[in-house]
Amino acid sequence: MSNPPANPPDRPERQTYEIRLRGHLDPRWATRLAVPNLTHESDGTTTLRAAGVDQAALHGLLQRVRDLGIALVSVIRVPSASDAPSNTDPTSQRNLK
Amino acid sequence: MSGSLITTKLFVPKLRAGIVDRGRLNERLQRGAAAKLTLVSAPAGFGKTTAVVAWLQSRPLGRVTAWLSLDETDNQPAIFWAHVLAALQDAVVRIGAPPLDIPGPGEQLDDAVPGAIVNTLAGLPQSLELVFDDYHVIDQPAVHAGVAALLEHLPPNVHIVMTTRADPPLPLARLRAQGELVEVRAADLRFTSDEIAAYLNGAMGLGLSAKDIAALGQQTEGWIAAVQLAALSIEGQEDVAGFIAKFAGNNRFVLDYLVEEVLQRQPQSVRAFLLDTCFLDRLSGPLCDAVTVGSGSRQTLEELYRANLFLVPLDDRREWYRYHHLFADVLETQLDAAARDRVRLLRRRASDWYEASGQRAEAIRYALAGEDLERAAELIELAVPQMLLTRQETTLRDWSRALPAELVRARPVLGIGLASALASSGELDGLTERLSDVECGLGMIEAAGGTPPNGIVVVDTTQLARAPAQVALYRAALGQAKGDLTASIAHARRVIELAPPGDELSRAAASSLIGIALWTEGHLEEAYAAWRKGWDGLMRAGHVADALGVSVALGDIDLTLGRLLQAGHVFERALQVSDEKGQPVLRGTADMHTGLAMVLRERNDVAAARLHLDVSAKLGDVAGLPQHPYRWRVADALLRHDEGDPDGARAAIEDALRVYVADFFPKVRPVAATRARLLIAQGRLDEAASWQRESGVGLDDQLSYQREYEHITLGRLRVAESAKRAGKTDASTLRFLDRLLLAAHRGGRNGSVIELSVLGALARRHDGMNAALGHLERALSLAGPEGYVRTFVSEGAPMKALLELAAKRNVFRDYASLLLGKFGPRQPKPPTHADLIEPLSERELDVLRLLGSDLGGPEIARELAISENTMRTHTKNIYEKLVVNSRRAAVSRAEELHLLTRPKL
Repeated sequence: MSNPPANPPDRPERQTYEIRLRGHLDPRWATRLAVPNLTHESDGTTTLRAAGVDQAALHGLLQRVRDLGIALVSVIRVPSASDAPSNTDPTSQRNLK
Repeated sequence: MSGSLITTKLFVPKLRAGIVDRGRLNERLQRGAAAKLTLVSAPAGFGKTTAVVAWLQSRPLGRVTAWLSLDETDNQPAIFWAHVLAALQDAVVRIGAPPLDIPGPGEQLDDAVPGAIVNTLAGLPQSLELVFDDYHVIDQPAVHAGVAALLEHLPPNVHIVMTTRADPPLPLARLRAQGELVEVRAADLRFTSDEIAAYLNGAMGLGLSAKDIAALGQQTEGWIAAVQLAALSIEGQEDVAGFIAKFAGNNRFVLDYLVEEVLQRQPQSVRAFLLDTCFLDRLSGPLCDAVTVGSGSRQTLEELYRANLFLVPLDDRREWYRYHHLFADVLETQLDAAARDRVRLLRRRASDWYEASGQRAEAIRYALAGEDLERAAELIELAVPQMLLTRQETTLRDWSRALPAELVRARPVLGIGLASALASSGELDGLTERLSDVECGLGMIEAAGGTPPNGIVVVDTTQLARAPAQVALYRAALGQAKGDLTASIAHARRVIELAPPGDELSRAAASSLIGIALWTEGHLEEAYAAWRKGWDGLMRAGHVADALGVSVALGDIDLTLGRLLQAGHVFERALQVSDEKGQPVLRGTADMHTGLAMVLRERNDVAAARLHLDVSAKLGDVAGLPQHPYRWRVADALLRHDEGDPDGARAAIEDALRVYVADFFPKVRPVAATRARLLIAQGRLDEAASWQRESGVGLDDQLSYQREYEHITLGRLRVAESAKRAGKTDASTLRFLDRLLLAAHRGGRNGSVIELSVLGALARRHDGMNAALGHLERALSLAGPEGYVRTFVSEGAPMKALLELAAKRNVFRDYASLLLGKFGPRQPKPPTHADLIEPLSERELDVLRLLGSDLGGPEIARELAISENTMRTHTKNIYEKLVVNSRRAAVSRAEELHLLTRPKL
């Protein structure tokens, strides 16, 4: 599987997502999951940040998570600077709240 | 995938000793056996497979299970269904039943396989469980569609079980609503505290306190993969309570924590073995020896299995194993950067081992995974012919995506192989560029005097000679797909020039492409000649089924050209060839019977036509080309109309519209127009008129062969409308018919000329008989030698009057009289044909065969061990069904109908 490009989103299909998983994953998983790094949160979850990925890459990542039997807590799109407040995309509206 | 690997996929896993009895799950799964589908859907490591196996083993002996462990190679219809068939055969053979009579995917379209499976399984005397293990690896919509079709038509004696990590895109909601779905999900699979206690204290004998069990239960949440790892970590642990307290107070992902624990407890040699082999999908002693450059791996594997280290046996011989997927995944994360470099090397070793043991597909997979792309390209080039033959285009395409473009560019033989894969799966984007690259490479080889110069690589030299013709062939196919028929013909002609001696297939394919192009453009004689060459080439190459497809085109063109006799010969010859091939009945045989039925119908031999349609129906879709379902229904509709069943005729033609699928043949006889003709013949002119509005044909249209059939239909409609008003045919219609006649005449389409002349005679009969007779005379002159009957007789009373006049005036008197004899008093017919004409029974066929011998009646009866009375009853039935009244007539009729040479159906 290809690594998602690291450059920030400059087109609508490339977005940044934050994925939260149950448990503290060993940092070594970053390579296997093809994300730059993992953050251990104090509530016992792990956050992955996938930057500049499109939907297909996001689903690929989620599938890898699925195959490890890791419980998924949340997936959030991180609004980028280019998202104007008047953005009519309903998903981004929700995420901005 | 080669033979030995297939058997590992069909192996019904065995339970290890010490499995906790989970009666509640068995009950749930047993309830599922009454439904169509049991879905065991939960994340990795939840014991899905074990639950299914435990249930299967808990049932009384003698139940049949077909098991298929899916992996990513199953993600294409051809492979998927081949493996399903293998699993079913394996199951049937295991209970000692004769193998199922299902043609393999190579012999039929992938989407026809589920139907064939349904038909065969429905006849199985016992019930059967079909298990798809790890169905989540499937993501091809085409595979899901086939599985959905299988579920839809599943016979009641078959039940499907799926284990999966994700709910599949099948119509689950509908199945649920129908009570045909039973689900076992994560919540059901989680081990309860009691079950954890039973496992750890019972099976593993760890003697843990209730508090420890509760702590473990809480930390693992009943996730059995974690419980098992915990058990391995606890085994031999001195301070169990301390371990559990540390584990329970930990935020780490439980598998990370536990696998690390387990690994640390292994001797160095075992740890190294695990890390060196965790990337292998399947493990055997020799393979692991090759990968680790060691010895004794077979024994190590057995030890790992005994130590419960997540090794799953894949056969009864302790030869092949795999790691539990989840365990292997977690193991792989234990590799550090240096180890990952090492794995690249290990993968290459695995690739070499597989290639040496003749399992090329696996060798390619590991070469790609080991990033040895040169080696992968080399192996793929060698694999191409076999992969194309077994229709694994999807795999080829996936492989080619993994190769950098410049690597393929330097390999023209590989390039043309990948282009073939793209073309045969209908992917035409980028094909032109690929072909240019190949041509460029071939040009460099030619310039260097026939040997590949520096920078150009040819591994499979046997394919090099074919390559130039192949490039032209795909260019021709591309031209056709884009509607550029001139270019298509030009490229196809080059194929015929360039193909090396012996490459009959390329030449035959080119001839067929030329045939399609010329046919589409209305050059029927030239198209016919091209198709004939195609037929000859395919026969020489032994591709008889493809030759049958060519016969459909030949017969169609013959009928348009007014060569009824020749059309009959085409189908008869094709049937003969198909007969010689014997069992299994070749695909396309059904089309030949249907084609012959249409010829017989025109000869007014309605009973014989019906017999052939019955044979065709009995052979089933498996014996038919993709378009056969619609062709058969059109023939059925026309015949029902002749048999006096107008409602049945309309129902059949509606069905034909529904099942129509387009192919490369020009669409010169649209079903909608045939439907309109039936409506016209039945006097339903208003309904027919709405066809005219929808099809957009008009009297002022420019004429072309492509729309001729529709235009003649329009002419029929106009003539019928005038007749209904009891008035003359209007001048614009007559002009239109004249234009059509001229165009048909110029195109040499005598079939159309006959039909238009009959129509013209009918249209003009109010204007004076001389004008009408002139048309009729032309029709009779062309139709007489070919034996046309139905075209005249189906026009009823007005045509009868015209023919009587012709006979009186000595215009083709003999033929006209012959036709007049076929009108007869209209016989009242029963509403369905089935009571009237039945196919012969097996016994009647036996009698019929002996009627063709020199034996007398009593001798035949003796031969068949039946009484003379029974023999007489059979004979009487045979005469009735064949509509004859003598023994000799029965035999010659039977020969005519190919009833005696037919393979047993």
